[in-house]
This record gives sequence, C-alpha cells and structure tokens, in this order.
Amino acid sequence: MDRESIEKALSKPALYGPDIDLSKYRLDEPSMGELNEKELESIDNVLDKLGFQKTPLSYVQIDESARYRIMEKFLSKYGAKIMPLRKALDEIDLAKKISWKIIKPDTDKYTASTYLHGGEIGYFIYVPPHTRIPIPIYTCLAIIGEKKIQFAHNVVYVDEGGEAHLVTGCAVPHGVREGIHIGISEFYVARNARLTYTMIHAWAEGLHVRPRTGVYVEESGEYVSYYVVYSPIASLQTYPKVYLSKNSRAYLASITAASGSGIYDLGAKTILGENNSSSEIISRVVARDNSQVYARADIEAHSSNTRGHIECLGLLLSDNAIVSSIPIITSKKPGALLSHEAAIGMIAEKELVYLMSKGFTEEEARAILIRGFMNVEAPSIPKNIRAEINRILDLVSKYAVG
Amino acid sequence: MLLEIRELSSCINDKVIVNKVNLSVDRGEIHVIMGPNGSGKSTLLSTIMGLPHIRVCNGRILFDGLDITDKPSYERAKLGIALAHQYPPEIKGVKFSDIAKAIISKYGCGDCSLMARILRVDELLDRDLFVGFSGGEKKRSELYLVMLQSPKLALLDEPDSGVDVESIEYIANAIEYLRSRGTAVILVTHTGMITNKLSRINRIHIMINGTIKYNGYPDEVLPVIMKFGYSRGLEVLNRTFKGGI
Ligand SMILES: Nc1ncnc2c1ncn2[C@@H]1O[C@H](COP(=O)(O)OP(=O)(O)OP(=O)(O)O)[C@@H](O)[C@H]1O
Ligand SMILES: [Mg+2]
Repeated sequence: MDRESIEKALSKPALYGPDIDLSKYRLDEPSMGELNEKELESIDNVLDKLGFQKTPLSYVQIDESARYRIMEKFLSKYGAKIMPLRKALDEIDLAKKISWKIIKPDTDKYTASTYLHGGEIGYFIYVPPHTRIPIPIYTCLAIIGEKKIQFAHNVVYVDEGGEAHLVTGCAVPHGVREGIHIGISEFYVARNARLTYTMIHAWAEGLHVRPRTGVYVEESGEYVSYYVVYSPIASLQTYPKVYLSKNSRAYLASITAASGSGIYDLGAKTILGENNSSSEIISRVVARDNSQVYARADIEAHSSNTRGHIECLGLLLSDNAIVSSIPIITSKKPGALLSHEAAIGMIAEKELVYLMSKGFTEEEARAILIRGFMNVEAPSIPKNIRAEINRILDLVSKYAVG
Repeated sequence: MLLEIRELSSCINDKVIVNKVNLSVDRGEIHVIMGPNGSGKSTLLSTIMGLPHIRVCNGRILFDGLDITDKPSYERAKLGIALAHQYPPEIKGVKFSDIAKAIISKYGCGDCSLMARILRVDELLDRDLFVGFSGGEKKRSELYLVMLQSPKLALLDEPDSGVDVESIEYIANAIEYLRSRGTAVILVTHTGMITNKLSRINRIHIMINGTIKYNGYPDEVLPVIMKFGYSRGLEVLNRTFKGGI
C-alpha cells in the first residue's frame, strides 16, 4: 500500500462513533524496555481495577512503551513466542509477512495514524503447530499519563492445531482523566487451531477508545472472543470482523455495562466465507445514567450450508440512557441459515419482588438479576478464565447497579 | 405469640382482597388455610410477607412482639419470615446454587446439605433458577430456599400442588423438620394429601371471599370439607359445631 493513500486516510473519520481530533493528544516516542518501580505501582492499580488477580503478565504496555520480558521464558518452554511487534518485525519473517494484512492501514484515521506514528508497539504472539498453551496468556495495556495517545498493534498467529487463550486487560489507573487508546489487532487462526480472546476494558470518563480487530480463521479453526467493558468512558467504537473458512466457527460475546455519558458503539461482523462455517454473535447491554449504546452485529453468508445467529439483549436502567440494537443478516447463497433476535427491556419486577422476599435488599436483588442477565456461557473458554470472567462480572454487576 | 394478625385487610389496586382477618400463630405450630380459588389465601400470605403490590388498608401485623405492618419484605425476611411462593418466577442466568449460596451467607444455615437431601434438589442446583423446572421440582426447590432461611415463620403457599405422591412425602418431611426446629408454619393447601401426612396440625382455617369463615381442628373440619365442598361444608360445620372458634 502506498504511503500517500495512508497519509490521506489520516483525516478519514470512522464509519461509526464520534470523530476524534487526534492532534489534541500527546504521543510519546514509542519504546521498549523494562518496567520501573513507578510503573509497577500503576500496573498494580490497573490490575485491581480490572479485577485480575496478580497474574504473571506476558506483556505490559504503558502509554507507548512496551514491557514484555516478564513471561517470555515461560512461553518459550512451549516454543511459543511473545515480544513487542516492533522486535518481531525485525526478527521474524512471519510477522513481517502477515502484519497489516487483515486490517488495511488506510481503513480510517485511527488505523492510518497507528501505521504511521505507532512505531509498531504492541505484542506479537506465535504459537507453534500442535502446541497447546495450557495457561492463559495475560497482557495488559495501560495509559498512565494525562492526555496521551496510546497506539498498540497486536499480531497473533496460532499455527496449525495449536491452541492459545489470550486475556487482555486495558485500563487507566485511577486519576487519569483524558486520553485515547487505539488498538489494532490482527489474529490468524490456522487449520484446526483455536484461539480464545478475552478482553476487559476499564477506562475512565474522558477516555476515547478505538479498537480495530480483524480475525482470519482457516479450515476447521475456532475463534472465541469474550469482551467486557464496564467503566465509564468518553466514547468507544469498535467493529471487529472475522472471516471464516470451511468448517470453521466463531463465537463472539460482548458484555457492556454502560454508565456516565459515554457513547458505546460496539459491533461484531462475521463473514461465513466457506462451506459449513458458522458463527454466533451474542451481546448483553446494561445502560444507566446518560449512556448511549449501539450494539451492532452483522453476519454475511457467502456460502451455502452455513449458520449464523445474532442475539442482543439490552437492559435499560435509566430514563436518560439509550440502547439501540442494529442487527444485520445477509445471505448471498441459498442454504445459509441466518437468524437474529433482539430484546430491550428492564429488570423484571416479579423477579425483583421475589428476591426481596427472600431477604435481599433492592440493591442486592438488582445486582443479582443484572449479574444473571450478563451470564453468557461462551463455549471453549477454559475453566480458569471462566472463573476470572465470573469474578469480573461480579464486579461489573455492582458497577451496573451504580 | 409469634404472629398476631388483628383485623387485617389488604387491598390490591384499591380493591379489598383480604377482609378483617384475625389470626394468631405460636412457635412450632402448624396452621392450615384452605378455601376456594381466588378467596385470598395467597394474598394473605403475601400481606404477611409484605410484598409491595399489596397495601394494608386496615389492621396490624405483629411479629415477635414487633409491629411489622409497614416494613418492607426484605426486613421481614431478616426478622425470620419466609414465603414459599405459589408461583416462583423463572430467573434466567441466575443459578439455583448461587441464590442458595447467597441465602446461606445471609442466614448462615448449618444443616443445608441435609435439607437438600430431604427435598432431593441436588441435581437441580446447577441449573438456572426454576427455568424449565417441572411443577414438582419448582415446589421442592422453593421450599428448599425457604428452609435455608431458617425462618421462625414459614408461609407455604400450596407446596403440594401438582406434586407426585413421593414428592409430597419429601415435602411433608421437610415441614416436619421445620417444626422440629421450632418453626411455625402457615400452610395453604387444597388437598388432604399433605395434611394427612403431617403428624399434628394445630388449626385449619377456612377462607372464603377474603374472610376466615371458620376455624377448627383437622379431624372435625377436613372430612366435612372433603365430602361437601366449601359452601355446603361450612353449613354442615356451623350446624354441627356451632361456628367453631
Ligand atoms: N396482582 C393482582 N392484581 C389484581 N388482582 C389480584 C392480584 N392478585 C390477586 N388478585 C385477586 O385477588 C383475589 C385473591 O387472589 P389470591 O391469589 O389471593 O387467591 P387464592 O385464594 O390464593 O387462590 P388460588 O387457590 O387460586 O391460589 C383474586 O380475585 C385475584 O384475582
Ligand atoms: Mg393462591
């Protein structure tokens, strides 16, 4: 792709979400290195906020600095690699070959500026053929400076028959007021491989967030994503896209607990490209205060004998919040079976009354019901991550009640 | 006296449903309330529990010497009143075991696994609360949650309706167990099945049109009601026993 068209894209707004003037934010010189004491403290604070236990992190990014060595050794035991993408682009041919192939740099101003100014900070992970990494790979991206822009470009390749479980937490420690996070993620799931990706976002009122995610799943591969956002935010706009080959499948669940006056524009698109591919897009939205949530989902079938389903459920907790569900299903071949269901409502009075008669206060009862509402059973998520998610959802349901 | 209800009337949407009811229940007693559909039995129990859609329009409810007439239901629950709902709602996403745990952590139940065994609910605990439960499973599960509260007063709204013969046995065992711990029970039922299985019932109350029209001992009341139904039965009872007490 020629540089000129990418530079032109620097002023190209995204299709959805409020347009952000990136020149208002400061960009540090992208760098790599070790964590210092002060950063460690901030990271502890961020982990608390994310509800993570003090897990061994594989990769930490603070503002524009990549800190990665922490678990490198552990992963190398399996022949797996994790390093800042910038380093990978120098050392590993595969990284060079696949970087910026799923997501085009000129997609919008966020991808273009990441390409041009991001310095390829972010993580690169490679899982060798037929290798299952038994423990989750934790990564954490934090913005600890004020009015900063954080670019992250992540590339993951799970080779044939491999399996990995990625958990990424993105957050600001308490006290940070403004900033923007732009995360470009490109995931390759090779034949018979499986990748689960759990992402938890805990930002703050003045933060804008623009993740750009593209996933390519080869024959008989599986991709599962589980996305949770529960903090207030200025705006969040994302529309991950997953391409599915023969016999492959994808499951994308998102759980949004919106609050404050944030704009949460969350989508997911799957392309059922080949025979016998299938996908499910599930979302749960709880909105309070003055938040606005747009839950988008799009399944496009290009082959017969494919299946796709969208399910969006919303819970409106305030007069001033908005939840909008925008599902699209498109079939380009007979024999594709696509469906969607959406429902927006409020907490069922009967259930609330029932729980209160069992001795729960109204707040406790609401939290239990919201917690239940957010329970979606993602398949293939290992037990330990499931437990982590459960802990986080416990936290989220408390936030959601306010 | 554990529970004392005086001249209690309750309204739903300004319509009087329960009308000037008097009722006294002491520790460890079992009282049975029977009456035709729509006569106000559930509404009476709901009024004692303090469910929000019901307004007390006359009278007082005293529990353990405390006037609870204006207290919200969760406070009554904490004081020791528990209600087994006639129709507990299906709650998607919320595990039966999670609610059980939450109740246990509130009430600190010491013998829960025993109760789970009495009521045969073990296999249901992993499922969403009441979702897809059969009629009988719902009844046993709801009674189990009531038992976890270790209540001083258990209000059981038709725990035996739609329940098979064996399960009625389990439910009767559970009620006996509650009594053995000193819990007072108010039991609403339509059938003699459950009453026959209980070792001792202190009183049977017949409720008609929101009013308790008759109360007496099981041996005098049950055979007559079972044979003649409520309206004829009451006539017979009034003639024979001169109005009970
Ligand atoms: N939420 C409500 N709104 C309107 N009317 C109600 C409501 N709940 C109860 N009622 C009315 O109050 C009356 C008494 O109802 P209740 O449920 O107490 O009867 P019941 O004696 O328990 O009957 P059943 O044996 O059928 O369970 C009925 O006429 C019923 O329609
Ligand atoms: Mg009833």
